[in-house]
Amino acid sequence: MIQCEFNRRQFLQWTGASAFAALSAQLSLENLASAASFSPLPPKTPILVLVTLYGGNDGLNTVVPFTDPTYQSARSNIALSASQLLPFTDVLAFNASMPSISTLYGENKVAIVQGVSYPNPSLSHFSSMAIWQSASLLADVTSGWIGRWLDRQPHSPFNAIGVGSTLPPLMVGEKSVASMVDVGGIQLPWGPVASLLPRLGRPSASDAPLEAAAATSITDLYSTAQAFGSLVPTSPTGSSLGQQLSLVSVLINANVPTRVWEVNLSSFDTHAGEQLDQNALLSQVDGAIGAFMTSISAGSRSNDVTVMVYSEFGRRVMSNASDGTDHGTSAPVLLIGNAVHGGLYGEQPPLNDLDPNGNLQVTTDFRSVYGGLLHDVLATPVGDVIPSWNSALSVH
Amino acid sequence: MYVAGVSSTSTYAQRLVTSRLVHRFNFGPTPGQYADLLRRGVEATQSTVLEHGLTDPGLASLAALDLPDLGPIPQGGTAASTAFWNAIYAGQTDLVSWWLDRMYLSRYPLTERMTWFWHGHWATAISKVLYPLAMQKQNNTLRKFSLGSFEDMAKVMAVDGALNYWLDNEENYITSPNENLARELMELMTLGVNNYTQHDVTAAARALTGYSTNLSTGAVGFNPTQHYSMPLNILGATAKLNAESLASLLVSRAENAKFITERLWFRFVSGSTKPPATLPATFASRDISSLVSALVHSTAWSDPANSLVKSPVEWFVGACRALRVRPSKLDAGNTQWSLSQMGQVPFNPPNVGGWPYGQAWLSGAAFQYRFELAQSIVTVGDLSPLSVPKSKMVQACADWLGVAEWSTRTGSVLAAATGTPSEFALAALLSPEYMVSA
Repeated sequence: MIQCEFNRRQFLQWTGASAFAALSAQLSLENLASAASFSPLPPKTPILVLVTLYGGNDGLNTVVPFTDPTYQSARSNIALSASQLLPFTDVLAFNASMPSISTLYGENKVAIVQGVSYPNPSLSHFSSMAIWQSASLLADVTSGWIGRWLDRQPHSPFNAIGVGSTLPPLMVGEKSVASMVDVGGIQLPWGPVASLLPRLGRPSASDAPLEAAAATSITDLYSTAQAFGSLVPTSPTGSSLGQQLSLVSVLINANVPTRVWEVNLSSFDTHAGEQLDQNALLSQVDGAIGAFMTSISAGSRSNDVTVMVYSEFGRRVMSNASDGTDHGTSAPVLLIGNAVHGGLYGEQPPLNDLDPNGNLQVTTDFRSVYGGLLHDVLATPVGDVIPSWNSALSVH
Repeated sequence: MYVAGVSSTSTYAQRLVTSRLVHRFNFGPTPGQYADLLRRGVEATQSTVLEHGLTDPGLASLAALDLPDLGPIPQGGTAASTAFWNAIYAGQTDLVSWWLDRMYLSRYPLTERMTWFWHGHWATAISKVLYPLAMQKQNNTLRKFSLGSFEDMAKVMAVDGALNYWLDNEENYITSPNENLARELMELMTLGVNNYTQHDVTAAARALTGYSTNLSTGAVGFNPTQHYSMPLNILGATAKLNAESLASLLVSRAENAKFITERLWFRFVSGSTKPPATLPATFASRDISSLVSALVHSTAWSDPANSLVKSPVEWFVGACRALRVRPSKLDAGNTQWSLSQMGQVPFNPPNVGGWPYGQAWLSGAAFQYRFELAQSIVTVGDLSPLSVPKSKMVQACADWLGVAEWSTRTGSVLAAATGTPSEFALAALLSPEYMVSA
């Protein structure tokens, strides 16, 4: 069954963040190849790759407390059976759709931070994703946490890059915004007018900001087409997330001077028919991350890369009659990398001690996870990016 | 570069306001209309774009689209199954063509323009609903109430079959609630986020129990034995509630006037400025036409900050209207493929939040499909408005398409494209000034 999706486009639209995106550079692969050649990222510089799962991934069917009797009784219609599990402790198992991540865990390269959310979690996709992306519980903070980190870096369009065509708010700062790079094949305009169209992409002094953005979109098409070919297939194949992470691995291995990358996948809003859909989505995440880590491990930046996988919330402990789950609260965050100290962090919230809405308690604040990444990966004091916050959970 | 309009008395300010009103409320001008509106003035333009509720002579040539009830999905691998899926896909394609034709043909396009807005507001996708008949039924509901009472609209939509199925309400039971419809009804359709609690969501889900959808027709049935019949406490009031009375309760809240006002402002006026604090008062009676009239008469139209990107469908229909190309005369498969690659096929919004907006529509990747659509329109389009001396083509084109002014950039590109009218029209439709409602 196709789920009613919550995805990045929707989030952008509701936050109004697209207005900022008009100022974001759409980088062509040519720009990136040139940057990698003239100012390559210095060796051993840590790199952060954010994997945003839009819609609210069900943490309890991702990292599964399979021996807890409440797990079976509260969600008997969607509880995973023994053949659908890859146990890694006496009481916890990965969803069997995640064989690559399970293997990486066995190699001590996956940190699982348990019970992650924030005080009084919002059950709204939009509010909760805004909190995660801004790293603030205050609605009037519109800048993103990576955006505020960007504000503190020497200006460069290469510091942080999102894959896709629209910029997520987490990469919008008060002064700076990240850049974007698109995945996809290119067919240039043809016919007599073709020679004139590139000229429509030039800026004009009288352009309103959105007209300037429209002009830029024309130039982007031509510059991307020019650069495509040697680095990336013209028509990428494989899953959506697989294509995104494949592009990122190529660019990281080429020493593009970028410290933060963002990729994303939608459709985790599994109100009905959850098992089939979530297993397929987790399989896509697992395949994409497995291939990404293989590629990175074979390159010169094997120990530089840390991947964070997160969603705006987990889901209700008790399943619904539609074989799905409604919106919930805390869930595990995965941190993956060859330099990560794998294992369990934080506490698994008990399934028999829920909040008044029937949701899991919060045992780890996501800002502590960000704190660890800011300190260990981005070498920035936590309080500079998340005001009046100083807790950092280190997995390095 | 300021290109003077047809009348030496029409200032840039008037050209801008007129262009915004006719593009945003009427899918853009038909040939000659923009020049005519400039001559008649802003007040006449405001009245013109607001015309609705009349028998629309433009739609006289449109045949009724009688979609059959295709019944339940047959078992796979049978001849009946093949026929069923062929009928589903043909019906989906026909439905999209039918609506695009309505937008194109309307003599009073405000009704279709508002139906288009409400489709994004009550965003329901045929990708899940599957049956074109159920989507057409919803579409007719949105059209019927498009400029009427929002309370009436909300009451009917709360028991709309396509919406109920889309948001899993057929799986919402007293003993095992599914909150999807209840939450989105409050968050995205009536109140806006944070104007209710989880307690309210849980109670609203109970009010929505007992309804079931016959998806192949979109008809909704009610089974009192499966409906939660005890009093419910929602937003501080306690009463027995069903879908209709829940909708009335939500619409009666002050937050509803503010929320709906903001949604219209966001889609018609600006993504970067806020509506004036006085605007929700024009929606006090929940009469949509009053709110739309207040928007049309707003002073916001002269504010340069209030530019919007045309969505792909708005851009496409505008080009069709200007070039007199009925959308169904084009290859429907090609048209709908290009629109899907640009991210916007009618009846198939990406999610319950509706369509993206603004710069999201302006990627380099989308431009290649915009080119293909423009090419298909220009190839069969009526280019006679360009039958003027070459020295006047640039100016004539601005008046034809309803562009307030060309930039120096586009003016020089068009001046270089005077070789053939089709080359010229293609460049104009693909210009930043025509992609955006400045």
